[in-house]
Amino acid sequence: MRVWIKFAKESPMRFLSHLDLMRVWQRAIRRACLPVAYTAGFNRHPKISFASALAVGVTSEGEYLDIQFTERLDGAAFERLDETLPHGLKMLAWRQVPESTPALMSLVCAAQWELPLQVDESRCVQEAVQKLLAASSLTVERESKKGRKTVDIRPLIYSLAVDEKASCLSMLLASGGESVVRPGEVLKLLCLPSVLGRLHRIELYLASGGSFREPMAVLLN
Amino acid sequence: MLDYKVKFWDEILPRVQKPTRYLGNEVNAVAKDLSRCSLKAVLAFPDLYEVGMSHLGLKILYSLINDHEQWAAERVFMPDTDLEAILQNEAFPLCSLETVTPLAAFDLLGFTLQYELSYATILQMLRLGGITLLALSRGEEEPLVVGGGPGAFNPEPLAHFFDFFMLGDAEETLPQVLSFLEQNKHLSRADKLFSLSRIAGVYVPSLYMPDFDQHGNLLGIRPLDANLPRQVKRAVVADLDAAAYPVKFVVPYGSIVHDRLVLELFRGCTRGCRFCQAGIIYRPLRERTPVKLKALAKELVRTSGYDELALSSLSSGDYSAIGQLVTELGLELAKEGVALSLPSLRLDSFSGELAEQVKQVRKSGLTFAPEAGTQRLRDVINKNISEADLISAVTDAFAAGWTGIKLYFMIGLPTETDEDLEGIVDLVRKVMAAYRQAGCRGKPRVTVSVSVFIPKAHTPFQWAGLIRRDEILRRQNILRQSLRAAGAQFKWHGVEPSLLEAALARGGRELNAVIARAAELGCKLDGWDEHFSFENWQQAFRENGLEMAEMATRQYDLDDPLPWDHLDSGVTKTFLKKEYKLALAAKVSEDCRENCLGCGMSLLLEGKNGKDGKGACQNARLD
Repeated sequence: MRVWIKFAKESPMRFLSHLDLMRVWQRAIRRACLPVAYTAGFNRHPKISFASALAVGVTSEGEYLDIQFTERLDGAAFERLDETLPHGLKMLAWRQVPESTPALMSLVCAAQWELPLQVDESRCVQEAVQKLLAASSLTVERESKKGRKTVDIRPLIYSLAVDEKASCLSMLLASGGESVVRPGEVLKLLCLPSVLGRLHRIELYLASGGSFREPMAVLLN
Repeated sequence: MLDYKVKFWDEILPRVQKPTRYLGNEVNAVAKDLSRCSLKAVLAFPDLYEVGMSHLGLKILYSLINDHEQWAAERVFMPDTDLEAILQNEAFPLCSLETVTPLAAFDLLGFTLQYELSYATILQMLRLGGITLLALSRGEEEPLVVGGGPGAFNPEPLAHFFDFFMLGDAEETLPQVLSFLEQNKHLSRADKLFSLSRIAGVYVPSLYMPDFDQHGNLLGIRPLDANLPRQVKRAVVADLDAAAYPVKFVVPYGSIVHDRLVLELFRGCTRGCRFCQAGIIYRPLRERTPVKLKALAKELVRTSGYDELALSSLSSGDYSAIGQLVTELGLELAKEGVALSLPSLRLDSFSGELAEQVKQVRKSGLTFAPEAGTQRLRDVINKNISEADLISAVTDAFAAGWTGIKLYFMIGLPTETDEDLEGIVDLVRKVMAAYRQAGCRGKPRVTVSVSVFIPKAHTPFQWAGLIRRDEILRRQNILRQSLRAAGAQFKWHGVEPSLLEAALARGGRELNAVIARAAELGCKLDGWDEHFSFENWQQAFRENGLEMAEMATRQYDLDDPLPWDHLDSGVTKTFLKKEYKLALAAKVSEDCRENCLGCGMSLLLEGKNGKDGKGACQNARLD
């Protein structure tokens, strides 16, 4: 049985690295006695993958796991799993998906982010956002193993707005394969460099029929 | 206390490199409401989290204390340099992991004394915790600082910093200590300590005083009060099956040094290797039953989610039912996808059958410890293993599919000559030849790890000194050249940390000032190459009128009073002397499971009954 799990990663679990988080889930699944499937071959490992990596220090209420089990499981099994998670990790929802569904990781195309603003920041961030949106291109430099390259991220910023009432900056950014904008890149352009510790991921989206849908709501067949 | 937690998590942790070390809310960690606990202890391991969390003793005491509803045990480790600098610069006290409570707010602060190179770290942790370094200057409100573990068998170098020490199995002593402290909060520190000294296994150093002759030679360490025992006896758990075992291992987030479950098969060892301190201070041999072990294993896996379990002891092949246990447990665990590993195998217990069983459960690296290169020297150290044992064990291992093997040796053992070094090389050559004889093609990977023998208190070699610095280097050079020529990989221990370890291991109270000065100079985490500063330690010794090398290489006469004579491991000095003389004559002693050698343990155990109703030490007799 193939399952997608939606979960939240809250403080203090925001300090877990990608690798640590994988280990935590593997052990939690074992404690809950859930029959996870293993890859074949010499170096067997459980078939568990994340939809999208999250930087250390960032919190989220829109994280996803893609897990292959060897048996059918019911709601009680997932309740057991939720109960054995360490404080700061919380299961929010789960759904069964068809076996033939491509890896969740390959389907993700956008991410919704939120950054709480301090009262005195709101106005100047608002102005910076307007300037940014008015630009026809926004190039950033990225370093990869192959060397430096410049990327125009303007078309990959789907939305950017300051909610003055809630006093937060909200961003919908491309997040999948080659087309990805790191929230840090946008924050840097807004001259908000060292605020990664306040950043929060709200949701991941998949493309479905020309629009964005949440993984728990998207139609699969 | 909430303030500390909020500030630590929100403002400090985001700035450190590996925050998960300091998070403390791991699965199975116990965070009680301290305001509702009648006794609060914090267990300290004077090294980094990754090292300390790998230690079984800490897990045993943590669960033993927390299983008591009214008592709380939390953990603290030495912070790495980044966090240490933040704590220091911002005057934020070192806190426990569980509830982020400053060390000073606990009733009891317990350090484990696992190795001498951690001693300066203890002082750093006291300093970071805002605890007065000198026990006698501590205020009434400060925690009592206690030390236990192997280092407690020569605690004199730390006597000024500790209120008391616990000798032997803490499962036995600690509940008595905690009950007493819980019920006697109104007493002064001095009164508490005096009463605690009546509990078996408790040594209060401020109640004992060293005497010296006019030349400054130690005459002995004697109690200040006639009601105190002249010798403090070690505490012993008679029945290990009945003793507490932690079934809920705290599961770390990051990877630690030994990232697996550990199941202790038995305590003690009957082999009688003359260099081995553990072989003395954990006597007698006490086994857990297979039924108990299997039940524990099942629960450990269920509560932790780990996928590997290691069977642990001083010599696991000596467990009475090892074959049956490995087969049955291996099968049960394999069903759940859990691998079984079996470190600490003596090579004479590694038969073809056990090799097959171990291989089935996991093909991890294999390590054997012949310790010395010639039969003569192996007889000196009473490592009753022959060349034939080694060759047959490695041949079985190669035939079973292993392609790499690690061999442990020591240099600097009493009576060692260059012939013994050649013996090591010769043995390694034969091991490599055995690879082809086992029908394998090519060459095996043979790693030869050579440490420097450090004489330890309470062993038959306690009178011997470390070999000199230039001698260590010369012998290492010989091995480096010949082992490379033989095609093996050579690993060695640094000479300078060995000198320090040897000087601290057999010194007396004069070392307190040295350790305090070394800590002032910034010494800490000396087991790590990147932190160890030989120069600072040298300076600390010299400023106190001592020479490290001199103390390290010092030979004691058999009649010299020793700084640990007032501590009773259960094994008599008469027995140790007899064994030392046998060693110098290259004469072996039997495994005491076959025939009691009269080491004295049975005296300590009088009145203590094991699970079969007899004394825990079977067939004991006295000379």
